[in-house]
Amino acid sequence: MSTKSCSKNLLPFFNTSSLLKGFYYVRRNVELMSGKQFFLERYAQLGWKFQEPKPKLSIRINQTNAKAKKIPERLRSLGVELEKVPFLQLGYWVVRSKASAGATAEYLLGMYSIQEAAAQIPVTLFTALHGKMVLDASAAPGGKTVQLADLMENSGVIIALDVNKERLGVMANHLERCHISNTIVYNLDARQATKLNRTFDRILLDVPCSGNFASDSEWFSRRTLADVERNAKVQKEILAEAVKCLNPNGEIIYSTCSLEPEEDELNIDWAAKNLGLQVQKIYCLGMDGLTEVFGRKLDPQVKFSRRIWPENTQGFFVCKLKKVETQ
Amino acid sequence: MKPYEVFASRFGCRVAFNSELVLEKNQRYYLLNPRTKKDLLVNYYYAGLYLGKIKNSNFFPSFNLLNMLVGAAANKIVVDMKSAWLFICGRDVFRVGIVKVMGSKRKGDDTLVLNEFGECLGFGKIMDDLASSEGKLAVKNVLDIGDFLRRETRGRF
Repeated sequence: MSTKSCSKNLLPFFNTSSLLKGFYYVRRNVELMSGKQFFLERYAQLGWKFQEPKPKLSIRINQTNAKAKKIPERLRSLGVELEKVPFLQLGYWVVRSKASAGATAEYLLGMYSIQEAAAQIPVTLFTALHGKMVLDASAAPGGKTVQLADLMENSGVIIALDVNKERLGVMANHLERCHISNTIVYNLDARQATKLNRTFDRILLDVPCSGNFASDSEWFSRRTLADVERNAKVQKEILAEAVKCLNPNGEIIYSTCSLEPEEDELNIDWAAKNLGLQVQKIYCLGMDGLTEVFGRKLDPQVKFSRRIWPENTQGFFVCKLKKVETQ
Repeated sequence: MKPYEVFASRFGCRVAFNSELVLEKNQRYYLLNPRTKKDLLVNYYYAGLYLGKIKNSNFFPSFNLLNMLVGAAANKIVVDMKSAWLFICGRDVFRVGIVKVMGSKRKGDDTLVLNEFGECLGFGKIMDDLASSEGKLAVKNVLDIGDFLRRETRGRF
């Protein structure tokens, strides 16, 4: 091909006018598919009317470290007033606090962790964790890993993965503070979990997600539908990899702090149809998962998942999946 | 002797771990149990119970190791609530804040610092004979649990 014909062929792509048109087209689309109004209209279509959320600071007692130590009473003596979270066994709201709840001796001794109330739910949905082989696939900064180890009373093994090495440092401090002894941490992408050559009885997929406006005041100005779709794709890849290393009759808890159905019900619908997973009924805070999203009908079992619209907690989605043994 | 054993001996006690279950990686020591050992791969980042690290030829214990020493017959002092709080904030311990002394009272020795609940807040160096140092600086803070907050600021493990 001569230089002349080459430049002739490429010419339309370097035409300033078409480039600008393309740029404005993309920009216009991004504007249309982002912003507070865009997302609030989506939520309205999903049946939720926006109300300003008021998430409260919450803590979770680490029962293994706090045995026989009356943490609420001890914190009260420091001016930290707690109120039991009705839907959690070990969770408390911090109602009033003269001291920082993250700087008391009790916190530094690992007797409790600061963990958002809705985020405490997923780990409690596993059945019979004691002595099990557990994978925490996107583990850092380690709040749920510590919760798992606490419920397991440091029995069995937790394999915790995270791709971000800087966040693993935070996680290591968290594990040391709470005296966790059954966890092995690898700097590994959850999408490469099969490289470990291990299979698991329980898998926690608290997957990386787009987040929500209740925990990020800048959320509406920072997120676009393209972000959501990109995250949803990664989440599907993580789900597919997790299924490969799940034992028969094993359980997956899938959770996100995203309110976008692409990252929630649509992924579960996809997993039920393509990965041979059954959605299990769970009992926890929230409403039934959506079975119709923007006119699209989903697998009826998706309703067993739970969608938590933000109010006293951040927005959240959680679901229990089971790999059912086939003959 | 392993660095953590040498460290324990500074408190007048001894720790004995099954050497097959203690791993060293990047100058950090971890204590495993047989189950976690079985499931360990070479390229781990953190494993089991963290015991401490070597940095600039010195051994820096973890709070897991310090907790283990509490149960052993180690040098330890119990401090009152105000001194406990100041100690966590990185301050030294004065004689007036010490409620009880167990083990060595000798200047230059190391001692664990416990709160009134018997929980280990860290350790320090005895600066003056604890039998006679009323009102004076008694134990110099070497490491306290407030370090977790300082690490958050520095973003380090």
